[in-house]
Amino acid sequence: MLSTREIKQRIRSITSIKQITRAMEMVAASRLKKVESRVLASRAYTDRMHQMLSHLVSSSSLETAHPCLVERAHEIPVIKIILITADKGLCGAYNNNIIKKVVKFAEEHADKTIRLVHIGKKGNLYFSKAGYSIEKYFPENVEKFGYSQVKTLASHLFKGYEAGEFGQLYVFFTKFHTVMQSFPSHIQLLPVEKGAFETKEKLHREYIFEPSADQIIEHLLPKYIETQLYQCILESLTSEYAARRVAMIAATENAGEMIDELTHTYNKARQEAITKELLEVVSGAEALVR
Amino acid sequence: MAKTFNFEIVTPVRVVYNGVVQGISADGTEGAFGVLADHAPLITELKTGIIMAEDPSGKTMHFAIEGGFLEVVANNVVVLTDTCIKEGEVNIEKARAEKDAAEKALTKVGSAQEKEKAQAALKLANTWLKLANVH
Repeated sequence: MLSTREIKQRIRSITSIKQITRAMEMVAASRLKKVESRVLASRAYTDRMHQMLSHLVSSSSLETAHPCLVERAHEIPVIKIILITADKGLCGAYNNNIIKKVVKFAEEHADKTIRLVHIGKKGNLYFSKAGYSIEKYFPENVEKFGYSQVKTLASHLFKGYEAGEFGQLYVFFTKFHTVMQSFPSHIQLLPVEKGAFETKEKLHREYIFEPSADQIIEHLLPKYIETQLYQCILESLTSEYAARRVAMIAATENAGEMIDELTHTYNKARQEAITKELLEVVSGAEALVR
Repeated sequence: MAKTFNFEIVTPVRVVYNGVVQGISADGTEGAFGVLADHAPLITELKTGIIMAEDPSGKTMHFAIEGGFLEVVANNVVVLTDTCIKEGEVNIEKARAEKDAAEKALTKVGSAQEKEKAQAALKLANTWLKLANVH
C-alpha cells in the first residue's frame, strides 16, 4: 500500500501528463483542420488530372509509346519505394501500419532489389535499424515538404526512370478517410499503370489533340507524377494528425480515469489513517481509565 | 438564350470556378481559340495568359492562369493549372514586385534554366497586371 504522500505525488504527475496530452490533442486538431481543407482541395485537382490522363491514354493512338507507360519490370528488377511516415511518434499505430505494409511488400518481392527513399524520420529509423539499404532520406519535416520540393524530387525520379535506374516506382502512404479511419495504401507511380485508367464505359470519342497527343503526354505525365506524389504526402500528413489527435484523446481519457482511481485510493488511505489514529487515541484513553 | 455548358478551373489549392457558361476563349500553345457548347472533344495545352468566360447573363469573367491543360468532353470543360487568379484578386504591388525581380534576373548572367524561369515569372506577372487593367 502506498502512503498518502506517494499517491498524492502520483496524482500530481498524472495531472500534468493529462495537461500535456490535452495540449497535444489541441495542436493536432488545429493542424488537422488546416491540412484537411488542403487535402480535400487538392483531391479535386488530382482527380481531374487522373481523368484527363485516362482519356488521353485510352482514346489516343500514341505514335510512340511513352517510356513511362511501358511495363519493363522484367528487364530492370529494381523497385524504388517512397515511404511517407511521420517525424514523431505518439500517433497510435500510424507509423507501424505503413511500415508493416512495406516490410510485407519487400518480402513478397524478395527476388528484386528494393531501394528505399524516406520522407519522414520514423520510417528511416526503422529501416536503417532493420538493415535495409536506404537510398535517400529527406531530413526535413514532412509538413515542410512543399510543392517545390516535390517538383524537384519528381523530376529527379523521372530522369532516373528514363535512364533505367529502376523498373518500378511505388509510393507507400496513408490515405485519409475520416478522422477515425485512414488506410495504409500504396500506388504504382511508374510505369503509369494502364489498368488504372480503364474506364467503366469504354470511350469511343475521337479527341482533337493540340499540339499532338504525344506532346501533351510528354508534358502532362511529369505533372501527373508530381501531383500524385504531392497528394500522397498531403494524405499522409492529414492521416498523421488525425491519428495523433485520436491517440491523444484516448491518452487524456485514460489519464482522467487513472486520476479518478488514484483519488479513490488516496481517500481510502486517508480514511484508514484517520481510523487508525482514532483507534490509537481511544485505546490509549481506555487504558488510562482503567 | 445561347446553349450553355459546364466550366471548371481547378488548381492544386482550390477550385477557382465551377459553373455554367455560354462560351470561353483561351490561349493555347498553338494559338488562341474559343469554345462554345457542343464543342468536339479536345485536349490541349494552355499558355500562361488570360481565360475569358461568358456567364449565361452575358457578363464576361477573366482568369489569369499559369500554363496548364484544357479538356473539352461532352459539354464539360475542365482547366487544370498551377495557379489561377480571378479578376479583382490581383495584388498589384506584388505583381509589380515580381515583374521587377524577374526583369532583374533576366539582365543577370545565369544558366539557360534560370533564364527560362525568370521569363516565365515575368510572363505571369505581366498577365496579372493585364488582368488588373481589364476594367
